[in-house]
Amino acid sequence: MPRLVWRDRAPPQKADERLTPIPTASVDLDECISRLYKKELLDERVIEAICAKTKELLMRESNVVHVQAPVTVVGDIHGQFYDLIEIFRIGGFCPDTNYLFLGDYVDRGMFSVETISLLVCLKLRYPNRIHLIRGNHESRGVTQSYGFYTECSRKYGNANVWHSFTDMFDYLTLSVVIDDKIFCVHGGLSPSIHSIDQIKIIDRFREIPHEGPMADLVWSDPDPDRDEFSLSPRGAGYTFGSQVVKKFLSVNNMTHILRAHQLCQEGYQTLFDDQLSTVWSAPNYCYRCGNQASVLEVNDQGERFFNVFSAAPENDQVKDQMNEKVAEPNALPDYFL
Amino acid sequence: MEPPPLPRAGAPIAPTTSTSTTSSSNATKSFPHLEILSPAQLSRHQFLLPKKRINEGSDVSFFLKAKAYSEIGKFLMQLNRSVCPRKVHIPLKGSGGSVATRTKSFPLGDDRKLWGGGNRAIGKLREVLKEVADLVAEVPPEDNPNRRFGNAAFRVWYKKLEQRAGGLLNNVIGGETGGRRGDGVKQEEGREEANEGENDRMLEEVKAYFLGGWGSAQRLDFGTGHELSFLAFLGCLWKLGVFHRGQEGPKGEEGEIERGIVLGVIEPYLNVVRKLILTYTLEPAGSHGVWGLDDHFFLPYILGSAQLTRPIDENEPMPLEGSMPGAPKPADIIKHDAVERYREVNMYFSAVGFINDVKKGPFWEHSPILFDISGIKDGWGKINKGMIKMFDAEVLGKFPVVQHFPFGSLFEWELDPAAEDKHVERSVHLANQPPTTTTTASPTAAPSIGIPSTQVPSAGTARPPPPGAGAGGVVGTRAPWAGAGTGPSLTPRGGPPDTGPPPPTAFPRGVPGRANNQFSVTKAPWAKD
Repeated sequence: MPRLVWRDRAPPQKADERLTPIPTASVDLDECISRLYKKELLDERVIEAICAKTKELLMRESNVVHVQAPVTVVGDIHGQFYDLIEIFRIGGFCPDTNYLFLGDYVDRGMFSVETISLLVCLKLRYPNRIHLIRGNHESRGVTQSYGFYTECSRKYGNANVWHSFTDMFDYLTLSVVIDDKIFCVHGGLSPSIHSIDQIKIIDRFREIPHEGPMADLVWSDPDPDRDEFSLSPRGAGYTFGSQVVKKFLSVNNMTHILRAHQLCQEGYQTLFDDQLSTVWSAPNYCYRCGNQASVLEVNDQGERFFNVFSAAPENDQVKDQMNEKVAEPNALPDYFL
Repeated sequence: MEPPPLPRAGAPIAPTTSTSTTSSSNATKSFPHLEILSPAQLSRHQFLLPKKRINEGSDVSFFLKAKAYSEIGKFLMQLNRSVCPRKVHIPLKGSGGSVATRTKSFPLGDDRKLWGGGNRAIGKLREVLKEVADLVAEVPPEDNPNRRFGNAAFRVWYKKLEQRAGGLLNNVIGGETGGRRGDGVKQEEGREEANEGENDRMLEEVKAYFLGGWGSAQRLDFGTGHELSFLAFLGCLWKLGVFHRGQEGPKGEEGEIERGIVLGVIEPYLNVVRKLILTYTLEPAGSHGVWGLDDHFFLPYILGSAQLTRPIDENEPMPLEGSMPGAPKPADIIKHDAVERYREVNMYFSAVGFINDVKKGPFWEHSPILFDISGIKDGWGKINKGMIKMFDAEVLGKFPVVQHFPFGSLFEWELDPAAEDKHVERSVHLANQPPTTTTTASPTAAPSIGIPSTQVPSAGTARPPPPGAGAGGVVGTRAPWAGAGTGPSLTPRGGPPDTGPPPPTAFPRGVPGRANNQFSVTKAPWAKD
């Protein structure tokens, strides 16, 4: 069994060490999970093995995964690890509660590595109890700009785990349908998708493209002031209005669209006569937005209930450690060297 | 414990050397500065409504060689240098020519002379800022329980600003377009009408940058792209000579007007924006979260570090390291009481103070980049130099930020003949990409963030070397206007600051059509039928 070494900042490994893969069979997932619950980092070779195994598992999933209620649906996390743990405290730990995560696990927050490591281990350990959808941040391009790449490099001294994770992201599913009634996706709808069957034929095992149905699913946003599709100000995907939602639901014989992707002051927002909801799971986003967060619990009657919560108490407790931490000259951006 | 004394506004503080016999030369060197249009140039000038020109990643490469880029840089360098403390040499009586060297610093504060109180245009701009701030009181935030995040009342506020902008700006520029109108030169009638039209066009051109400086009404957010627009607005006024009109009488001190712009206009502007952000809960535009320098701003970190840098003589360039005697230490930014003490006098501390106001949690956790910078031992000069490099790469060099910047007759979308092609070709912001793989031209290339010439790590099996290995030749460059001594190689690990406008995540725009080059790794059995 590999020794799972916790390091706040792992030293760069020697080249020959990097070349020695760890057989996935020898990874003790339960041990990994219990370390990760304590916010410890896994060894980069363990991450590599876990990601390889996860790819094999995800490869078998359809672009549209069908699940049954009860299930608790979680929106964007963005590396807010303490708040992820708070979600488990509130909603129940895996595998006692079924979870569906709608993507955007990484970037912006301080603990994206810990967050995605834990979620991937849970997925591997309980493949039918937890489902992970791909968000627009589960991509090489976006993570290079918005922090995950930087975080991996700082915490491991090299980008190997970034490669392991982003290679694995190519395999994440694009959508989930709960009880044939609730369509779940990270961003929203696409003008090139009328029927859910059209999602099933997307070749998803790739970096998220700039345009096309796969890009739209992870980038689009609802626009309550419009009826139809328009170009999104984000530069990718579309905004879509009430008529689009209505038509999509009726063509596919569904009742609701559930998505994440946008910060909500109250932790959630429902639009279009309760035909669509946004669930947002990063409280006090970026340490300052002062917003609530929520998870959406769908019970076996198909009823939806938003469980709203605030930032985890750990976010405050660590405040006292503030002055113990010393600046790391090695971590300085190169502009200042 | 007795707090260290605050630097007194404009007063020489902290005597240092007492025996340096300097030969302060009269020949002031020419440092980067933005040229003012001469009356002759102005009278021929054709104004243009600024237009968006940056539509895809490759356009950023051209921007980095354009006149607009170099002029914005020069203007910023000029402002930066103006607030750097100065050495004051005082001959000592009866000491046989010895002089005492003291430091004159330029803190924020009430000193009218420092914030350019004597300058008409600066005074008018301060009135404009006050009116813009008062407009917030006219438009209270909406109480809408079903709002998503940003307060839609900001759109009402912005509309009002649009309506009033012409009048407000006319107050600043109007009747002051020296070479253009008046000046006692009798003009023919037809010529005067033509000038009238040209004046309107001038106002429209300047207004575009002014209105771009307050955030996006559509997206309800604010980022460094908006801040850049306001800087360009001030640059427009500078080029038009607005700050120099009515400046009769004895020539002021070197850099006096620039200092007035920084301390008397830019800081109050930042305060108005802070008020907007808080009132209408504007989202950080394209924030990089903890991996950015700041959610919204960049300028106060440049200008504020300049305020604390080692003092210089008028003919010296900006120092690349060192601090002003008596300056707070870089490490003081993580001390709450020090920030409270210095935020009133220094722009860097003022910016950190705002972060402390709005963020919860430990500073090292929510602002790790600023935290690590606080550990710099070579003083504020080092920080200033780094901030300029970072601004160049992370603001001016980033597609998501500059794509919204429009170009007209004052900030031109024209090749700057002085641009060093070979340098700009592999520009600074390439350096922020992870290393490229040089092994094979794999068809798996992911979309590039900004620039066509770069390859992003492949999805294939070949492992690129770790950062810093230099694979793929990530060669940085320094801006032609950046201070001396910046090395050519930039491979920043630190996260970029918040980018300007697109919220909450901008799509990293690569080369169009690049997506087609991507390949599928594996096909699931069900995928084909």
